[in-house]
Amino acid sequence: MSATLNVLRAELFKAFRKRRFYVLAALYWVLLPVVALITATVLDRNLSASFANQDGTIAQVLQGFASPFGLARLALMAPALMSPTAYIIAVALFAGMFIGEERSQHMWKTTLAVQPARLAVLAGKLAAAMALLALLLAGALAISTLAGAAGTLFLPTSFGGPWGQVAGLFALQWLHLLAALALAYLLVFLVRSGTLGIIMVIFLPALLEGLYTILNTLAQLQPLTRFNALFQALKLQQAWQALPHYFFTANLYAPARHPLGAFLQSTGAPQNADLGPIGNLLGQGLTLPHAAAVMAGYAVVFGLWLAWTLLRRDVE
Amino acid sequence: MSIAIAATALTKRYGRTKAVDRVSFEIQAGEIVGFLGPNGAGKTTTLRMLAGLVRPSGGACSMLGGAVPGPELRQVGTMIEEPSFYPYLTGRGNLRHAAILHGGVPERRIDEVLAFVRMENAADKRVRAYSQGMRQRLALARALLWRPRVLLLDEPTNGLDPAGIAEVRASLRQVASEGVTVLVSSHILAEIEKLVERILAIDRGSLRFDGPLEGLLGAADARSVRYDIEATDQEALLAALRDFGLEPAPHGARGAIVSVPSDRAAGLVGRLSTAGVEVLEARRETATLEDAYLRLVGAEGRPS
Repeated sequence: MSATLNVLRAELFKAFRKRRFYVLAALYWVLLPVVALITATVLDRNLSASFANQDGTIAQVLQGFASPFGLARLALMAPALMSPTAYIIAVALFAGMFIGEERSQHMWKTTLAVQPARLAVLAGKLAAAMALLALLLAGALAISTLAGAAGTLFLPTSFGGPWGQVAGLFALQWLHLLAALALAYLLVFLVRSGTLGIIMVIFLPALLEGLYTILNTLAQLQPLTRFNALFQALKLQQAWQALPHYFFTANLYAPARHPLGAFLQSTGAPQNADLGPIGNLLGQGLTLPHAAAVMAGYAVVFGLWLAWTLLRRDVE
Repeated sequence: MSIAIAATALTKRYGRTKAVDRVSFEIQAGEIVGFLGPNGAGKTTTLRMLAGLVRPSGGACSMLGGAVPGPELRQVGTMIEEPSFYPYLTGRGNLRHAAILHGGVPERRIDEVLAFVRMENAADKRVRAYSQGMRQRLALARALLWRPRVLLLDEPTNGLDPAGIAEVRASLRQVASEGVTVLVSSHILAEIEKLVERILAIDRGSLRFDGPLEGLLGAADARSVRYDIEATDQEALLAALRDFGLEPAPHGARGAIVSVPSDRAAGLVGRLSTAGVEVLEARRETATLEDAYLRLVGAEGRPS
């Protein structure tokens, strides 16, 4: 345990001296609230007195994304709605910093000679990245809330909202990122190239899921295709159709995307809005316990694979 | 005296190539041992296996009585191949990172090792601005940081100027005098000769010699003797030596250098006189480590 703590402390010592961490934090913490508050101010100034606000729609919209709660929720959701997501960019950066850099700077032999307990090194490096992700998410929650609080001074917004739920979703999203980190570390370690590993982390899950979509489309073409026949013969049709429920991407971002329906309703969208084609992408219909179980499974598989690889590999 | 480093039939294969083939040796605590071998002989692979970085394909090694890999490796300081550092950290920052990573290293120890390798003045510069020699010194400082009981050093004087080499040599002697076991490989054979008491020589993955330095030099002397001979007529001297079945090399205007098998060395000057060569001077040269080493590894062997 003390070896893991030593690695954690050493990695944090290193990370806090890297400029890229501060750039990432500044972009995440400051950019979003500033853009949201400017947009809200423009809306408020131009539309509050117009016909568009006859039944309080504009006030509802402002409360939805520019109130303290609205901004906090936006800080959770927005990074998961980008492409590639800000979450995976952060994960890839940390994988580059803690695993890729060890290779590019030829530091593996030094690191493992100084601290020969390889599993402790791995655990410490994962813990360091998780600690930095926790700091990023907590900072985003705090700064968004503060920005929203400042906004109440000049916008018709209030502090109300289910704060406990959004804090819980932040925590759950943070836990889900462990699986992404394990995958990122594994890819960077396996391909022996920090850059290629990072590119794979960002695009590989989406690529595989895209391939499924193409295959699924082909399988449903009439007349019956070989795929369809094969699945039916093997009685795999149901499993094949259920596969998207176990996709890495949809489950990974399930907590961050969970409030999307409520957010859309708060901005005036009709209740039970069907999100259409993007619903599948966003993991519509996935429950949080299901997503948590799936991500725990991914984390265990990737973690064990990573540990096995690190224990067996020669350090050249 | 306890055994600090032991290798038993240590083997490493890469595919069908045997990089290290059943190498066995034991090094007592407090010994300072030189590790010689040409490029690709298996030195670095052996050091890596001892440091727990590379898994042996066969055999085993132990460090301070414990199997490798194991917790005893925490008491080993290493400097293997090119020293590597985080370039964006200062020299002191890199040492602090290593101290935290290892654990249990007091802050003042960083200043001690920096002073020991004479790097106090450059310690607060970023490593990306360091010369090769400064990196070597910093790597030595890092290897000494947690007061290791064993030091594994691969070419520790690479990139150092003559003064730096002498300083590192003195530092290693001081470390060894404190009871630290040192296994050091170097391509500068003269340095090894001045530093170590015992030699391990490896070639093509196999251990070719394990014994005291004098033993290796004596073995070389026992096989052949090198003469530097001057005569009034260089051509006659060279012709006579060739007639004796030797392969002399001209030296200066009147001399020749020749290696003579030990059993034929006695009476060489007398035989030259008999052959009509007027010898002015004949010096018998003692074998250097380089001579001994090159004879050991053969003509194709070159120090790495």
